[in-house]
Amino acid sequence: MKVPVGWLREFVDFTVEVGRLAEDLTLAGLAVDGVEGTGDQAVLDLDVTTNRVDCMNVYGVAREVSVLYGTRLRPVPADVREEGPPAPTSWTIDVEAPELCPRFCGRVLDVRLGPSPSWLRDRLEQVGVRPINNVVDLTNYVMMELGHPSHAFDLAKLPDARLSVRWSKPGERVTTLDGQERTLQGRVGVIAGPRGALALAGIMGGASSEVSESTRTVALEAAYWDPPSIRRAAKALGMHTEASHRFERGADPEAPPLALARIAHLLAKIGGGRTRPGLIDRYVAPRPRTRVQLRPGRITAVLGAPVAVSESRRILTGLGFAVGEPSDAWTVDVPTWRGDVTREVDLVEEIGRHHGLANLPPTIPASTRVEGLRPAQRRDRQLRSTLAGAGLTEVITYSFVADQAEVTFVPQPLRLANPLSGEQAVLRDSLVFPGLVSVLRTNVRQGRRDLAVFELGRVFGLDTIPGAQASSEEPRLGLLLAGSAPSHWSSAPRRALDFFDAKGLVELLAGEFGVMAPALQPVEGALGAVLHPGQSAVLAPLRPGRPVEYVGVLHPDLVAKWELKEAPIVAELDPARFDAGPPVRARALARFPGVERDLSVLVEASVPSSGVLAEIERAAGPLLREVRVVDRYDRPPVPAGRVSLTVTLAYQDPARTLTGDEVQSSVDAVVAALRARGWDIRGE
Amino acid sequence: MAEADDLKDRIRALRAEFDRELAAAGDASALQALRDRYLGRKAGAITSLMKSLGTLGPDERPQAGQELNALKDEVEKRLDAARDQRAQQGRGQQLARERVDITLPGRRPPHGRRHPLTTTREDLEDIFLAMGYEIFDGPEVEDDYHNFEALNMPPDHPARDMQDTFYLAEGGLLLRTHTSSGQIRYMLSNPHPPDVRIISAGKVYRRDDDITHSPMFQQIEALVVGRGITLGDLKGTIEAFLHALFGAQFPVRFRPSYFPYTEPSMEVDLGCVVCGGKGCRVCKQTGWLEIMGSGMVHPALFEAVNARLGRVVYDPEEVTGFAFGLGIERVAMVRHGVDNIRLFYESDLRFLEQFPG
Repeated sequence: MKVPVGWLREFVDFTVEVGRLAEDLTLAGLAVDGVEGTGDQAVLDLDVTTNRVDCMNVYGVAREVSVLYGTRLRPVPADVREEGPPAPTSWTIDVEAPELCPRFCGRVLDVRLGPSPSWLRDRLEQVGVRPINNVVDLTNYVMMELGHPSHAFDLAKLPDARLSVRWSKPGERVTTLDGQERTLQGRVGVIAGPRGALALAGIMGGASSEVSESTRTVALEAAYWDPPSIRRAAKALGMHTEASHRFERGADPEAPPLALARIAHLLAKIGGGRTRPGLIDRYVAPRPRTRVQLRPGRITAVLGAPVAVSESRRILTGLGFAVGEPSDAWTVDVPTWRGDVTREVDLVEEIGRHHGLANLPPTIPASTRVEGLRPAQRRDRQLRSTLAGAGLTEVITYSFVADQAEVTFVPQPLRLANPLSGEQAVLRDSLVFPGLVSVLRTNVRQGRRDLAVFELGRVFGLDTIPGAQASSEEPRLGLLLAGSAPSHWSSAPRRALDFFDAKGLVELLAGEFGVMAPALQPVEGALGAVLHPGQSAVLAPLRPGRPVEYVGVLHPDLVAKWELKEAPIVAELDPARFDAGPPVRARALARFPGVERDLSVLVEASVPSSGVLAEIERAAGPLLREVRVVDRYDRPPVPAGRVSLTVTLAYQDPARTLTGDEVQSSVDAVVAALRARGWDIRGE
Repeated sequence: MAEADDLKDRIRALRAEFDRELAAAGDASALQALRDRYLGRKAGAITSLMKSLGTLGPDERPQAGQELNALKDEVEKRLDAARDQRAQQGRGQQLARERVDITLPGRRPPHGRRHPLTTTREDLEDIFLAMGYEIFDGPEVEDDYHNFEALNMPPDHPARDMQDTFYLAEGGLLLRTHTSSGQIRYMLSNPHPPDVRIISAGKVYRRDDDITHSPMFQQIEALVVGRGITLGDLKGTIEAFLHALFGAQFPVRFRPSYFPYTEPSMEVDLGCVVCGGKGCRVCKQTGWLEIMGSGMVHPALFEAVNARLGRVVYDPEEVTGFAFGLGIERVAMVRHGVDNIRLFYESDLRFLEQFPG
């Protein structure tokens, strides 16, 4: 809102320079965003908060200034000399919808239409309003000055000189001042003549009754409109005007007579016409006055420091509040322009902001209990640090994604009713599809080949519990690896990342959090369409009914569809899998040496290593502490279709040194068992 | 006499020979051979002479023995010195051979980065954790009650326009427009009512998409409720927080403002951390950065929570509170000099990998 300093000075005196005025207003809650010009030509640009409709005008700001500097606020000159036939005989008004229009006021003016004098046009231009003619200009001038919108009808264009205020009829049409023909639906307030709507109540006048060069007599209207009614209508019509902006935030129900008088006063002053006797005032639904009790003790309780009683009373009185006798609870009558003040704490705010927030001493409340990160919060922090330490970069992608899922993880996705675009139509049920895959594509477009990223965030779905609909939100950890493992020199052989890099990350996390590495199972069902069925796995569920967790290579069909050069490896995990258990108990260190023996087992390529290990564990006896696969070889001389697995058998007894014979007899038993399965042993 | 003179001649000759041979001995094995030749226990030249001392007369023996011992000491000492010198030379050559070009790049273990919004959020959280706050987060998909109604924003409230909302097609649900909805949830399930001292941090959503607005962004909000909590406590807490975050040299100011859920409400400005208050592009020449919204908890919130609980747990006559909230992106943008909020969510690794973390 633009407020010219010269206009302010009509109503209040102050001696500070403009820069200081701007700062003082800002610190009292009227944020001055900028100042144009200097001295009395300066114009303040105010950002008035939506609750302070009383300050969306010059006079309201002048009132604040008068309280800031303790100077007098001058009344608005509004005396009217009335002439000619009485107004009520020339204009009839019926308020049929008092809930829409609690008060409707009118005056009739005989006008000499023409341009406004230059001082008036200059003022309007200072506040960003285009001058039109003296009558329209005066309605705008008074709206900017007092905050109350009004509207001038050409009385000759009002059929039967009769207006009614009512709700629109379905499909009713009106052409507004901006030249648009509008078809009204729902509850839109209108000012209508006998033959239909003429203007949109509280929003915009109509073209058919517009003041023009031929206008001789003006029916001037100023009303108090029900804020929610104006708000709903403006929203439904997609309109936002200076008038609707003020009415939907709550105008002053006592202002209409003053606004009309001020216009009439200025009309005479500029020689633009005269005012017929009588104010038409249909105050059909008087607004209740607000009275609030203010206990001085509450001021201290909320602000944390006392404010002198005289200071509190000066502030309230200066702002227009009528403050009763000093006591434990002052009776405070709220001025009609302060619809935002309804309770005690609102008065405390008024006192606080004019007393000066800077004058309230800062304190810090004493702690009452010890808090800290909750286990899941600690876990998430550690997950992020561990993965970053392992070479993955964290990304955060939008929770809403395009509605073209390659695979669904929930029975029903959550759909946005008003998305910004089709790319953001549903809430994601996966971090990978399409989120992390899109991250890959974004970076591939930048020429990037190798990348490793993760995201920790929520996925969403619709829970369909019988009888109630509720959303489900689950934390997820998503991983994506693509390209090759980092190498120091370019001449070093490139190693493409594969399934085992991602599986290794899962094992790393399990180790980091001290939980069992999850058992893997083959991929089945829908996942097999998005993951390479031969290079993917699902994790054994934490608990029945938990969302599926997987690790695997992207399906070649999708690699082709998304025009990727290489298949990325992806994983989605439930972070709860890494919830830390109780602290680890330390194990005694082995006091006797162990013995390690290596075996190479030649098996069909279809035999999983876990099957070989299980066989060894079964046959080796109690001295075997651990067996692990340390090499895999499938080139000649290994025959085609077979693979050589080298395993290390580690023997140890905590209580004594092992003899060569007992180790050898265990190895012999293992070899015999493996041979019994038809597998060859090399290097035994 | 003749034997004695003869011995002296032989000692002299031996010394001269040793001189020659030592100079010629190249490496450690040649030195060892030399040692064996002169000092060897069986066949060493000096050892042999020692043995021949017995042929001398008793008068000549002491002096000859002295000279011979002197020769032996000298040979030993010079052999040791030569060995040490050769060893040093060899190590020097080895070290020179093994020299690397220390200007070549280091071999880094793979290392990723946490997101700059994560590191910023954790920095903010840590300050509050140190002040004894609990971190609480509610659901991102919310209902109208927790996001609006309980926060003193009934239907048709103009302030709803300030937070253009994403609604879901199903079940009357919406995406939370602020983390304040979590504050209502916490008050409803507070394990130690009426005392509250929490921050709620997380993703929030508004239908807005430009260089300074992202349809998804992250907020961190504090809520403190209890007996005797005042606006002074709000000021002191916010000042302590901002000073811990940006440094105590930056002034903090409070401006009255408006939010439906607080009364009184205040905007908090921080002296511009970029220009130090002189005025620059970042602070739009004002010298101040608008950093957060704050206020005393509106009694209507306590009344709404009491109504839902069916009993007076937060008596507005007894209990007061303060709340404040800020955008995590805003802090990260100021800290890192980022001028486009969307960079945080575009996942371009060229952007993300700039930040330590």
